[in-house]
Amino acid sequence: MSAWRSTAAMTRAVALGGLGVATAVLFGEPVVMVLTAPLLLLGAMGLLHRPTSKPVLESRLEHGVLHEGQGTRLRLVVDDLSGVEHVTRLSAPVRHVAMHPADGRLGRLVGPGGELPVVEIGPRRWGRRVLGEENVALTSPWAGYRWGPTNLVGSQLQVLPVRAPFDSRAEAPQPLGLVGAHRSRRPGDGTEFASIRPFHAGDRLRRIHWRVSLRTDALHVVSTRGEEDAAVLVVVDALADHGRSGGVDGEASSLDVTVRAAAALAEHHVRRGDRVSLRVVGSGGESVRYGAGGRHLQLILGRLATLQVGRPRELRGGQLQLGVTAGTVVIVLSPMLSEAMGTLTATLVQRGLPVLVVDTLPADVSPSVVEGTDPRIAGLAWRMRLIERREVLASLASLGCPVVAWRGPGTLDDVLHRLARRAQLPQVRVR
Amino acid sequence: MIAEWTRGQWALRVVAALGPVGAVLATAPAGVPPKPWLVGLVALLSVGHARLPESPVGILAMGAVIVWWGVAFRDGLHAWALPAAAALLASHVAALLAAYGPDRLGVDPATLRRWLVRAAVAFSLAPAVWALALLLRGRDEAPGVWVAGLAVALAATVVATVALTREPGE
Repeated sequence: MSAWRSTAAMTRAVALGGLGVATAVLFGEPVVMVLTAPLLLLGAMGLLHRPTSKPVLESRLEHGVLHEGQGTRLRLVVDDLSGVEHVTRLSAPVRHVAMHPADGRLGRLVGPGGELPVVEIGPRRWGRRVLGEENVALTSPWAGYRWGPTNLVGSQLQVLPVRAPFDSRAEAPQPLGLVGAHRSRRPGDGTEFASIRPFHAGDRLRRIHWRVSLRTDALHVVSTRGEEDAAVLVVVDALADHGRSGGVDGEASSLDVTVRAAAALAEHHVRRGDRVSLRVVGSGGESVRYGAGGRHLQLILGRLATLQVGRPRELRGGQLQLGVTAGTVVIVLSPMLSEAMGTLTATLVQRGLPVLVVDTLPADVSPSVVEGTDPRIAGLAWRMRLIERREVLASLASLGCPVVAWRGPGTLDDVLHRLARRAQLPQVRVR
Repeated sequence: MIAEWTRGQWALRVVAALGPVGAVLATAPAGVPPKPWLVGLVALLSVGHARLPESPVGILAMGAVIVWWGVAFRDGLHAWALPAAAALLASHVAALLAAYGPDRLGVDPATLRRWLVRAAVAFSLAPAVWALALLLRGRDEAPGVWVAGLAVALAATVVATVALTREPGE
């Protein structure tokens, strides 16, 4: 347990003061008093301001959830500040978290209203971070006594991925749901013109097309297509992270591109009223069921922030179930460096589902290798993997699965248009 | 490590190291130059004091200076004692400021200002004691007059400082 302990400064001042008095008395030299009197005064003041409080310290984050690039403050909370003049905070550096001051070291006087020094923090990469682990020392007035350093336990901050700029005007290929914004193939009570047909019982009177009815002597109505929402499944490849992550403003690794693109796609479709689901192919196996709305989007972003990189057990057994239903648009976000992801995508395509692959391997990415590896061998292995990847992508293309590189707004427009057109044609499905 | 010290820390450490050396050398203009080995010893201890301001090395460095001032003169009350007192005080305060945190901790300007004021207040005691010593010089001394005088001066300064630094309403 911490306690107030005398500082080295006060010990020195009192010891030298005592030595001065002793020397002056022993040698009868008043000049020694002149030398030591100021030190003795500082020591005496330190002793006089001995604190009696037993402060309880806590470090508290102002926000528990943030997006990459946003900032918050790490506050120090002390229940009893009586007898505290100076506070020293030493925060532990956390990877992908920027701090102000940069090294997390801060020493300040307690403000007149009891204000304590604040550490400003800004997470630079999505994920879960433990912040607030720090050593804190309190010093009494005249630097006589010190409390601590006390080690404080940190609290968890969830850093959601920043939503990459994305927009798409393309309609979903096979909208098959309830009321939504996509033009359906089925007739319904929408706004998109379908045909003019003879009147049937149950047709609304306001739908009657009078000009055609008069010309043909039979009642005709304007029929429209229904507008339905679509189900979108976002599959995130978290089998491995390729490249180096420099945070929100720096270099992006393959997983950075994947997660930010997934966040952008999820937000786009949720805002359009679609039902969005998430499945992470990683060791954590994170998933979110189909749903819509703002809270559902937060749930998806939260799952993306906590994904774990690695191979799932189901993938080894070949039993990975994505839970895809008919009419679902599947968007696979992957650098396609794993054969398993290629096989998984090909299986979905053969089931007749509209599948599109977003290639998230950044250009100029270099492999991360174990220290001591011969760079020539590492380079050769990387080139071989890229050749295999090219083959996987070519195989998917030959199956009719479009592959596009992530480039933000408009990435999927052309592909979704083509998929929508293809969805009108009769198809053979493998079950 | 030393390479990671901030500029403020460097300044504090330099003052902490030079203070005792300056104080011991101040006996030279007063007529008693210090022995070279003593200067070397004080310099060595002062560097240790500057490097490790939390350690008791500072007591040794400044203690050697005080003892030297005590034994160097016989009934000497030189004005050079005042710069020497200032040098010792500066060294002490610089080490105190450096010891507020680890080596790489920057120096807070507000804390520095506060301690400069305190050091000035504390230093004002030195000329007062010196003037008192001059005044009483040559008179018949009652036993312990210096200690009693210092105790009175100290008590008066403490009371004045406490009264001045107390916040209204405390």
